[in-house]
Amino acid sequence: MTDTIKDFEAAIAELESIVKKLEEGDLPLEQSLVLYERGVQLSRFCHARLEEAERRIEILGERGDLKPAPASFAAGDEPERG
Amino acid sequence: MSDLFDLPFEDDEPEPEPERAPTPVASRRVLTVTELTVRVRDLLESEFFEIWVEGELSNCRLWNTGHLYFTLKDSASQIRGVIFRSALRYLKFKPADGLRVVARGRVSVYEPKGEYQLVCEHLEPQGLGALQLAFDQLKKRLQDEGLFDASRKRPLPALPRKIGIVTSLDGAAIRDIIKVLRRRYANAHLVVCPARVQGEDAAPDVARALRQIARVPGVDVIIVGRGGGSIEDLWAFNEEIVARAIARSPVPVVSAVGHETDVTIADFVADVRAPTPSAAAELVVARKDEFCGRIDRLEDRLRAAARARVQRLSRRVHMLGGRPAIAGYAGRLAMKGRHAAELTHALARIGRAQLAMRDRRVQQLRRQLETFDLGRRLAGVRTRLVSGRGQLERAMTARRHRAESQFRSCATRLEAMSPLAVLGRGYAVAWNADRTHVLRDAAEVKPGDTVRVTLSRGEIETKVSRTE
Repeated sequence: MTDTIKDFEAAIAELESIVKKLEEGDLPLEQSLVLYERGVQLSRFCHARLEEAERRIEILGERGDLKPAPASFAAGDEPERG
Repeated sequence: MSDLFDLPFEDDEPEPEPERAPTPVASRRVLTVTELTVRVRDLLESEFFEIWVEGELSNCRLWNTGHLYFTLKDSASQIRGVIFRSALRYLKFKPADGLRVVARGRVSVYEPKGEYQLVCEHLEPQGLGALQLAFDQLKKRLQDEGLFDASRKRPLPALPRKIGIVTSLDGAAIRDIIKVLRRRYANAHLVVCPARVQGEDAAPDVARALRQIARVPGVDVIIVGRGGGSIEDLWAFNEEIVARAIARSPVPVVSAVGHETDVTIADFVADVRAPTPSAAAELVVARKDEFCGRIDRLEDRLRAAARARVQRLSRRVHMLGGRPAIAGYAGRLAMKGRHAAELTHALARIGRAQLAMRDRRVQQLRRQLETFDLGRRLAGVRTRLVSGRGQLERAMTARRHRAESQFRSCATRLEAMSPLAVLGRGYAVAWNADRTHVLRDAAEVKPGDTVRVTLSRGEIETKVSRTE
């Protein structure tokens, strides 16, 4: 079911429309439950996208090559603190 | 001076110079024009080899060769001047007619025409500083071109995939940006394109980096800037080449130059101006926080809407149970009872689904907690997750209580709908004498008829004395 979610923005939009439908419509119980399940799934997807784990810092070289930043740099060390 | 010219003999024909006649032809020193010109030139150049002269520019004309010719004048005199391309390059402002300047240079002679002129090494505007003037000039020009128009400004992406950063790797800006992202636990993907942000070649280098980073796939927003410094240090961001590179960027650009009070041309052209590099990082990340909040709010509304749906159903159950007309009919009661049972079942299902979902979320958080390398995370994250779990568990308990009490009240209401229970609330059923028929209408009996009444406990046989 998750693969029916296109992307983050689409997920938010769909979630918003589901909430609206549930809020204003007097839908049959079964349909409400289906919508509710879908809503929960969407919000979970959004949270996952927001929390996507990788924090990466890459340096773009002169020839357009990407390499990871040195660890000390990526850690945000402050030499001036010493 | 002029009174010299007013001397009476001035009007006379020039007299032959008396000393010239006796000069022997052999000793006459005849110069060629060129020789004279060279001597004049040598004289002028040795006398005026490093002078400062103040005046107003006029007749400024830039030649194809790249040299700028002009006239420098004051109220009484003027002198022709030139500034060669090699020196012109270093001027921060554009010399223009009407500007008052101080010129540094030497006096020289243009031999082909026998004209003397001022060869300038440097021009400095008077009044405003050169940099300020340059700033104003470029600002006006780009503004006139429409580069600062609000309609050109693009919105930042909702959730940037990769954040491009153009700045120096040694500067404070990049560290400030990383610090902000660290503080906020934002798991952003940064692509840094190092550029010189200070010195003569800084501007073309920044422009080059802007072009280069926009080509990295996935980069959908660019922060360009540097930490604080003097106006000269920040100057690259006031150069046209940088302004144009920003304007041409295919993705939105956030400018972040120096401190809050430093405003550069880059700031005017950028889609968003951040007062500092830290602020730029916060701007990009703030949108993320904003989304987190938005989704949380949507989730709350989703739950509330589902809850409201359930409450509407349970109100209907209550209403059905409470209608006396219905309560009287055992048959229909049984039917309604079935309906109520269905509703109760549905309620239970919703309750179960919600509980299960909460459970899943708690499990998920628990898993996350377990897989985190806690040693490397700061206490804040831990606290957040733990308190989140506490909240969830509290919410889950509260929800379970609520669901249970809902089921209990439903069960109570269902019980209340059994015929016996209805009688227990004080209702009675009236039958005909043979107890074959429940009376619904007073017209079914007449005075003197026997009526049997079933109560919660026992029965009464009674006679009708009057009907209405």
